[in-house]
Amino acid sequence: MQREHPIDELIRREKETEPNPFLVTHVMAKIEGAKKMRRSTPLWQSLTLAAGMAAVVFLGISIGNSYVENGTTAVALNINDRQIENLGYYNFGDDEQGQ
Amino acid sequence: MSDEQLIREITAGNDAAFRTLMERYQRQVFRTVMGFVHMKEDAEDITQEVFIRVYQSLHTFQGESEFSTWLYRITVNMSLNFLRSNRKKRVLQSLETLFTLRSEEKSPLEELESAERDRRIRKAIDTLPERQRMAFILSSYEELPQKKIAAVMNRSEGAVEQLLQRAKENLQKKLSPTIGK
Repeated sequence: MQREHPIDELIRREKETEPNPFLVTHVMAKIEGAKKMRRSTPLWQSLTLAAGMAAVVFLGISIGNSYVENGTTAVALNINDRQIENLGYYNFGDDEQGQ
Repeated sequence: MSDEQLIREITAGNDAAFRTLMERYQRQVFRTVMGFVHMKEDAEDITQEVFIRVYQSLHTFQGESEFSTWLYRITVNMSLNFLRSNRKKRVLQSLETLFTLRSEEKSPLEELESAERDRRIRKAIDTLPERQRMAFILSSYEELPQKKIAAVMNRSEGAVEQLLQRAKENLQKKLSPTIGK
């Protein structure tokens, strides 16, 4: 009896490998799942979501801008804290007080 | 029901027709993919992806070639894409199979020798130039006639004959020092 060539033998073995018997069912389930996903998110929902996100971004930018425009740093710099406690008062000599 | 009738049913929204079409062709697709990847799990994943792609793009099928030709083209392209993007993973897997194969008929040494021989043959097939490999796999795994292979590969029959000849010569060259002719 002639011995099978190793290449032919390997190919024969690989050809004899059977796919999973549920392969077709898996594919059908994936297709059905993809269809349901498409059905469950209609166009108006996607548009509403996109509009909502745009509104949030716009609002964030507006609030950020208004905060910078009404900043308090300039006011803080204008406070003259020399008037809080006049240290010069304690430096006066007795003779100066009387004048 | 012919392929054309099934395709008409599917494009009209009949999913049961697609199931019939898959049952008709799943073995052919799986065998072809096996020729490229040599791993059952990977071949199953790619086969699933092929049929999902077919379902999604069936409306673009013009009917200019046979459905099976179109299907083989998709199968070959997706197998090659898989190999290009999983090169590193595949080296590890081929080593893994070398150490996990078990057979009750063979001694551990025979088992190891046989696994090593398989690995060399697979490597020789996998390192053939792309067109030679396509022609060789379609011819030896699917036993397609040269005319059909030529249609799948968009080449003349003469070109396919040459590719097959070169593929066999290359395989012999790559394997002759270790595996008999």
